[in-house]
Amino acid sequence: MSNATRTSKWSWLFLGFGFFFLYAPMLSLIVYSFNENRLVTVWSGFSTKWYGALMQDDQMLAAAWVSLRIAFYTACASVVLGTMAAMVMTRMRGFRGKTLFSGMITAPLVMPEVITGLSLLLLFVSLSTWTGLDFARGMTTIWVAHVTLCMAFVTVVISSRLAELDRSLEEAAMDLGANRVKVFFLITLPIISPALMSGWLLAFTLSLDDLVLASFVSGPSSTTLPMQVFSSARMGVSPKINALATILIVGVSTIGVIGWYFMERAERRRQAEMQAAAKQ
Amino acid sequence: MTSAITSTPIPAATPGGKPDKRGVDDYLVIDTVRKEFDGFVAVDDVSINIRKGEIFALLGASGCGKSTLLRCLAGFEKPTAGRIVLAGADVTDLPPYLRPINMMFQSYALFPHLTVEQNIAFGLKQDGMAKEPCQRRVDEMLNLVQMSKFAKRKPHQLSGGQQQRVALARSLAKSPKLLLLDEPMGALDKKLRSQMQLELVNIIETLGVTCVMVTHDQEEAMTMANRIAVMEAGRFRQIGSPDEIYEQPNSRYTAEFIGSVNLFEGKIDKDEKDFVTIACPTLPDPIYVAHGVTGFTGMDVAFALRPEKMQISKTEPAEPHNKAHGIIEDIAYFGDHSVYHIRLDRGTKVMCNFVNQQRWASEGFTWNDPVWISWGDLEGVVLTS
Ligand SMILES: Nc1ncnc2c1ncn2[C@@H]1O[C@H](COP(=O)(O)OP(=O)(O)OP(=O)(O)O)[C@@H](O)[C@H]1O
Ligand SMILES: [Mg+2]
Repeated sequence: MSNATRTSKWSWLFLGFGFFFLYAPMLSLIVYSFNENRLVTVWSGFSTKWYGALMQDDQMLAAAWVSLRIAFYTACASVVLGTMAAMVMTRMRGFRGKTLFSGMITAPLVMPEVITGLSLLLLFVSLSTWTGLDFARGMTTIWVAHVTLCMAFVTVVISSRLAELDRSLEEAAMDLGANRVKVFFLITLPIISPALMSGWLLAFTLSLDDLVLASFVSGPSSTTLPMQVFSSARMGVSPKINALATILIVGVSTIGVIGWYFMERAERRRQAEMQAAAKQ
Repeated sequence: MTSAITSTPIPAATPGGKPDKRGVDDYLVIDTVRKEFDGFVAVDDVSINIRKGEIFALLGASGCGKSTLLRCLAGFEKPTAGRIVLAGADVTDLPPYLRPINMMFQSYALFPHLTVEQNIAFGLKQDGMAKEPCQRRVDEMLNLVQMSKFAKRKPHQLSGGQQQRVALARSLAKSPKLLLLDEPMGALDKKLRSQMQLELVNIIETLGVTCVMVTHDQEEAMTMANRIAVMEAGRFRQIGSPDEIYEQPNSRYTAEFIGSVNLFEGKIDKDEKDFVTIACPTLPDPIYVAHGVTGFTGMDVAFALRPEKMQISKTEPAEPHNKAHGIIEDIAYFGDHSVYHIRLDRGTKVMCNFVNQQRWASEGFTWNDPVWISWGDLEGVVLTS
């Protein structure tokens, strides 16, 4: 008995230590975002003035707007391309080079971002010289770079959902008179929509916090938020950054909690309904 | 129920008369259909004509190619060779969505994101049916399977039996020329199974729809089908009505696959026009069979005798032949009948059923009792293959 209590005490200790390690930095960041002092490490009273200052910082706001737009377009494009790739990977029966194709789709997952970024930069530069067209580095090039990375993640998420999807559902729809295109839009897509949603969110967050790829392929007028934060942090950490980080943390966790709540509720209702049906 | 189907284009056959199915004899023609998977032959040159309004069962052990043949009919697999002709039209090269054939899947495959109603309407909508007649048809089908109360529910809110009804309604909604059932009772528990079997047959027969079903459950095939094909390794071993398959198996394989059987291996001893005798090393006297057999003296045959065709008694029967002596080695009591495992004097074991017609009748025999078994001259089957 005493042995068991001791074990559980230890586990609690480790758990606490782990959580401290993970969340103490964030917590201190949030606390100090309300610090009145302009030195980040010296507490001199509560104030929200840094939030006001942040709102005045046009550069920071512009960067945030750029990042949000890129993240949105990246998420949309990644979901479309990722779904297409996942369909090919799971639905096409053994064409030549299927393994190679699957490997190549997911390669950006393991490729160091520095290399991906560098090769994309070289690609854009040489495309401009060869075609004579202007592949000006800017939002579009960042978007392309982010899609190459995020699509790999989205493909993995969606293809694992597709692989476990009961094939007879699609066959049943075809049997009832729907051609392949209709089957995809009327049956497959609605059923995997939760996976599309999580793929979209994953791509959005990945794009939002990417620094490396964006640094390689951005142009003068397209500074993303991580780039802006990074460069201003090098000038010395301003409490404004704390305020920005707090807003981001609160925003992300609110979205997370709301999403979790709805999923949990839907799942609970589903379970209850299934039990009710089994009782009849 | 009959009023619910008045608008069905399929003419309703007279319900009830099971073997009496007047219709075109070759409504569905399966002509030397063959299916290979990378050189492995799953369906081996199978041919069969199926009558209109017939319920035809494919019965066989796991992996014998039943599902593959059914999927060829549905259009999910393309036969390597052979033709499939339905109601005079060759459907071999049509994709599934252009065939007038609907299938009820083993897992039911109800669309989880659609309600019961929408599930049933799905096929009708694909045909571009207008909203009102579509709704009428859906209501009709819901009525037919007695699921009107559940129209607005999602599939996961239904019990297994209810899901099956919806699946059936969905596959019947388009009035298919051919209905395919893949292990229709596979997902139901035993009690619900026998109830649904009869109900399903009832619905199919009232609509008069031609039906091919796949099952590995012989009881299910016997209760539901007009004709059964016993499959083994991609081929049909025997095709016939349930009683033909049971009482007149054409090979050792079907005899042993359907029901239980005692097989006595032996040679034809006397081969006359109106009787034969078979000498079995396991029996003291030759078996007397009161009809002729196509064979010759000395030919290797097996004599198949169902356990319920034997009598068991304590005293020696008066008949001159078809009897043997042994002791009871094992008793399985099933309530309505008992199965006695009897070791004959020459060492072979046979099974013998005894109907417990009187209460406590089974107490008459017990372990290690010496008994006689006997059977009539016409009760066994001589198998040459
Ligand atoms: N897509 C496929 N590729 C390769 N082999 C297959 C394929 N589908 C079926 N087979 C093989 O064909 C044979 C017949 O399979 P089928 O599914 O028709 O069996 P079955 O009679 O329905 O068995 P069960 O009662 O287990 O469902 C099996 O040996 C199986 O391994
Ligand atoms: Mg099968």
